[in-house]
Amino acid sequence: MKDKEEKVDLLLEQNASGQLAKVDWDGLNAAISARLDEADRSKTAVRRYPTVFKVAAGIAAAAVVLIAVIIGTDKQADVQLDSGRRAVVNFIDGKGSASIEIKDTGVESRVVVDIGGGERKMAMCDIEIIDLNGELKRDKQAAWIIISRPEPMFADNGVSRDMSDMICLF
Amino acid sequence: MVLDSGQKVNSTDVERLVKAGRGGSREAFNELVRLYQRRAMRVAVGMLGNVDDAAEAVQAGFVRAYLGIGKLKKPEQFEAWLLRIIANTAISQQRAAKRRTEKIKIAGYYKDKKAGSPVRNGIADELKDAIQRAMLKLSKKEAKAIGLFGLKDLSHREVAEIMGCSVEAVRWYVFRARRKLRVLLKEYL
Repeated sequence: MKDKEEKVDLLLEQNASGQLAKVDWDGLNAAISARLDEADRSKTAVRRYPTVFKVAAGIAAAAVVLIAVIIGTDKQADVQLDSGRRAVVNFIDGKGSASIEIKDTGVESRVVVDIGGGERKMAMCDIEIIDLNGELKRDKQAAWIIISRPEPMFADNGVSRDMSDMICLF
Repeated sequence: MVLDSGQKVNSTDVERLVKAGRGGSREAFNELVRLYQRRAMRVAVGMLGNVDDAAEAVQAGFVRAYLGIGKLKKPEQFEAWLLRIIANTAISQQRAAKRRTEKIKIAGYYKDKKAGSPVRNGIADELKDAIQRAMLKLSKKEAKAIGLFGLKDLSHREVAEIMGCSVEAVRWYVFRARRKLRVLLKEYL
């Protein structure tokens, strides 16, 4: 048995080494660099047009609440979004259905994106729900939340780039 | 520390780069990418069994790391932190690809790769496909454990730290992964 285990390891090693030997490391480095440039551009856009993004954030937050209401989660009673209220948002997207749960923690702002269907996936970032009816807080930094889905709903952004299907900014 | 490229890296240098990266230095982060891209690829290939998917996961993983480096509190834990991100990204990508394949299969468009592709590179491609399919049969944790073990210099303790579980659990995942792979890859053993 031990011998077969060693053979499994050897087989995996042989496959990995063989494939890695073909990698163009400079090319990979350039590809990563291009992706980082893209990320930089997104960050710059957020900094350059904070008001636009804050309004978008307000719309996104409203959309989240609307979806919660449409879907009819049994946690609706917990949804309370006052001006500047910090909240924990659980976003659960299962097979053929989706549910969103918003809970007010009162202490910290977190977003948990949980894509269900047996394949759980989680992402976290800071958020602040912005109330469009109230005064926009100019000193607040906006942050991106990328809600990724296993399959594109609206657009495929290229080869193997179907993760960034829905991007929300809070 | 000796990286997979054979390059020796001083941990103080890495910490310095991480601190600069946290402060927003793109140059420092580029240097970290250059230093760790081979290790990241080794883990991803070990988990996915396919270099193209691994490259995609590594690119996405480095972007996540770049966006999140400000939250890394201990620069000395950069490698563990980065490899955790890479492993998680690789798993997400693998499961998404699996779902896509299943959907295509259901739609009746699925063609067996071996039979459908006219140009094959013999046994190496066949083995690659077999390993790729076999890795999909493992649980997420088994796939992560076996992928991280591809980095020969990582101890059980370090793998446990990256995976966020106990050393015993890591041993168990590796044991189970090998046992499954032994059956799934028996014709190549």
